[in-house]
Amino acid sequence: MTSQGSSEPRASPYFWYRLMGRDEEGYDVYELFIGPQHPASGHMRIIVRLDGDIIVDAEPDIGYVHRTMEKLAEGREYIKNIPLFERATIIDAANITWGYVRAVEQLLGLEAPPRAEYLRTLLAEINRIASHLYGFGIAGIMLNHSTMFMWAFGDREVWVQLAEDLTGARLTHSYIIPGGVRRNLPQDFREKALKAIRYMEKRLQDYERIFVKNPVIIARYVDVGVIKADEAKRLGIVGPNLRAAGVRYDARIAEKYGAYPELEFEIPVREEGDAMARLLVRIEEIRQSMSIIKQILDKIPDGPIFHEKYYRMLPPKLKEFVESTGRLKLPGAFIRLKPEPGEAVARVEMGHGEVFYHIVSDGSIKPYRVRVITPAFRNVVLYRYLTRGARFMDLPAIYGSIDYFPPEGDR
Amino acid sequence: MAEDVYKPGNLLTSLKRHAAAIATGLRYLLSTKRMTVRYPEFLIDLGEGYRGMIRWRRERCISCGLCAQICPAAAMKMYKLPGEKKMFPGINYQRCIFCGFCVDVCPAFALEHTPVHDLSYEELDEMIYIPERFDTEWVSPALKEGARPVKVVFDEEVGLRHEPK
Amino acid sequence: MTTGTIGRIVDFVLSPHIFAPLIYPGLLAATLVLLTLIWAERKMTAKVQLRYGPLYVLKPLGGAIQLIADAIKFMFQEPIMPRNADKWVFALAPVAMMAFTIIPFAFIPAAPGFVGVDVEYSLPLVLSLSALIPPLILATSWAANNKFTLLGGVREAFMMVAYEVSLFIAAFAVASYYGTLSLSKIVEAQSVPGIILNPIAAGVFFVTMLMTASKLPYDIVEGEQEIVAGPFTEYSGILYMLVMGASYMELYVLSLVFVELFLGGWKPVIPALASIHPAFEGISLFIKAYLVLLFAVFLRSVYARYRLDQALEIGWKKLFPLALLSVIWSLALLLVAGGA
Repeated sequence: MTSQGSSEPRASPYFWYRLMGRDEEGYDVYELFIGPQHPASGHMRIIVRLDGDIIVDAEPDIGYVHRTMEKLAEGREYIKNIPLFERATIIDAANITWGYVRAVEQLLGLEAPPRAEYLRTLLAEINRIASHLYGFGIAGIMLNHSTMFMWAFGDREVWVQLAEDLTGARLTHSYIIPGGVRRNLPQDFREKALKAIRYMEKRLQDYERIFVKNPVIIARYVDVGVIKADEAKRLGIVGPNLRAAGVRYDARIAEKYGAYPELEFEIPVREEGDAMARLLVRIEEIRQSMSIIKQILDKIPDGPIFHEKYYRMLPPKLKEFVESTGRLKLPGAFIRLKPEPGEAVARVEMGHGEVFYHIVSDGSIKPYRVRVITPAFRNVVLYRYLTRGARFMDLPAIYGSIDYFPPEGDR
Repeated sequence: MAEDVYKPGNLLTSLKRHAAAIATGLRYLLSTKRMTVRYPEFLIDLGEGYRGMIRWRRERCISCGLCAQICPAAAMKMYKLPGEKKMFPGINYQRCIFCGFCVDVCPAFALEHTPVHDLSYEELDEMIYIPERFDTEWVSPALKEGARPVKVVFDEEVGLRHEPK
Repeated sequence: MTTGTIGRIVDFVLSPHIFAPLIYPGLLAATLVLLTLIWAERKMTAKVQLRYGPLYVLKPLGGAIQLIADAIKFMFQEPIMPRNADKWVFALAPVAMMAFTIIPFAFIPAAPGFVGVDVEYSLPLVLSLSALIPPLILATSWAANNKFTLLGGVREAFMMVAYEVSLFIAAFAVASYYGTLSLSKIVEAQSVPGIILNPIAAGVFFVTMLMTASKLPYDIVEGEQEIVAGPFTEYSGILYMLVMGASYMELYVLSLVFVELFLGGWKPVIPALASIHPAFEGISLFIKAYLVLLFAVFLRSVYARYRLDQALEIGWKKLFPLALLSVIWSLALLLVAGGA
């Protein structure tokens, strides 16, 4: 008891000097370490310097969940990297693996059959809704709106259940593989999906009443964390955060992959660039995704779900199994996919934004190099630019509104 | 679309919004909807396609080893059994990620998924299934202790309904 | 002899001076409110959020004794004293906080003529006793010597001046209409509930009550998402239970005052109950206060948290003028009606 603690002269004026650092410009700043052990930091740390209640600087300190994914990918066969990259954004597994698979397909010179492209698009949109609902819930609890948190996570369960019916796994689908998809559409999927869509449309109205139009949320979100179009472009922001700043950019349109060229949908764009605009863009994207799912269920063509080149390798007994159950069997040659030496890039629009893959192949069974740039990594810079000059209590509001997902940023 | 959130509200619109939020809360307070499935008492029946614990059938296995080769997590390994010339797969559930590649690549239908997913272990070594133990029927511990299985039904009003089976 | 002694003890306990502060509306009723209210809050929030809430502790009653289990857990938890904390203040401030929430029960009339200490100025006395709590929160935040607690303390200091003024003015607006500062006389004089006579004062009082007890949307001081638990970040075990309980107790005190000022207090009196014990006449006061409490904690599932500067703006720019307006309203009523 008599050791260090009590002997320190607490009352001396030096106490304040020790407590308050001084920054380079001579400001008195109060340095605060938010995270990694903090109720609202996520797997990261934000070093906040406060001048009174105003944030002078907020520095995102990421890397707490870095798993060397790019290096691990160099040591594995092509197909084994799919479950690996899935774990970067486990809430949006279809979209993040789709980018990888598209790059691998370019190296292999494969193209998935049309039905498989539709099924991929279907799962990608289900995942996009689930991912937005996840972000929605986090945005709610960041403002201590626990009802929004529970509702969004509970309604996400509906979409997770749909994805499970389609793929057999709740989150780690590993559904999209080079040359096609692993399962065909289940029999009663259409009715289930339409019911889920009608349910979600009703719920979005309740969300609006209790959250979006709640005067407290309007006070907390309107004109908070504003970023304008030119600044967003300069910083390389992607996804709903970019579109909320007034830039109409979406990899689904820019890249024309999957079944998107054949489907009609809008890219929601808003001019305001504040936290409320980001929230509204996400809600509208949920609506658009539901419309895409409806179109897919109407338009989906019949046909194989796996590329002929590999499907041909299966013995007749296995083909029969695939035809009857809709569950794909893989040929043994699939383990050691061996693309020609070369490079391929691919980008895909995830729920959080655009993910970019660059694969270098040296002609062996493992990739020579896989570079992945995730949307969260490109958006993390927003912490610094959006929080400067904001109030301290805006920090969780901004964190929630940019939908940052630390494991995705760290990879 | 909530366009008017940007319009400067007066006292009346503000009060209306407060009232709408509170009324929505009260509506849910008085409703009987619930999302929770009380797990150890009820167990969601996951059905045919779910990728749960993997069942191996020794009589079908042709010892090709494809499952061990495709496993992305190196959970599946080939073991040599005493008195046997062939090697058979065993699985380490510390590593398994339930991607199901082994099941999909198996040409002899010796591996298949079961809907059982809720096993727990007291010791890490128990999670390694050498071929002798791998050829077992999986039983959900919750079901064994009397959990009532429920079926997931999509519903327009409550999203997911859990009906007793 | 023995019956005489026991009878005297029973009489002593049942006399208002002891019964009011200790049993009802005091310590025992307050503990009951504390235990059931937090449970009810969790159940209601769970209901709105489509969950079950506490369930498995006494399942037939829906987990009604969950809070007792929690309390036992807190009792046996190790209270951790931070090395750099000012130990005396750190340990004693929560106790003092709890004490200052209990003392007002001696002055709050619970039933006609049933009050621990009958003073002429019970309204300002009760309000000023509960106004002693914010300085104690400041003391805890300083004593814990942690960056998050200090920020919480600063927030409390800002909030305190913003809400206390409006709270007092709204209360005095009612008092000025009835021309008395005694709570029991205000209740007796209320033929029409105060909320109808002066709805502005009632609204201001209710909102400032939420601010005082730092309930959503004004739980700024404990803002979990920014400052972990505000001034109470370093507390654990029984001390944490005290600081958390104090805010609910404060809410209970203020809701009793709210009911006495605006909802007619213990009226209507049920005479059949009065024959058992005079305190039972206060049953409608208790029920009304409990309903007010339930509504106050229900708001947790509807609202998010206001920002500090927005709450201050509401306090100073909206509630304060409204509170002044309510005084003018009362005076105008007096001119029109010619006094109560």
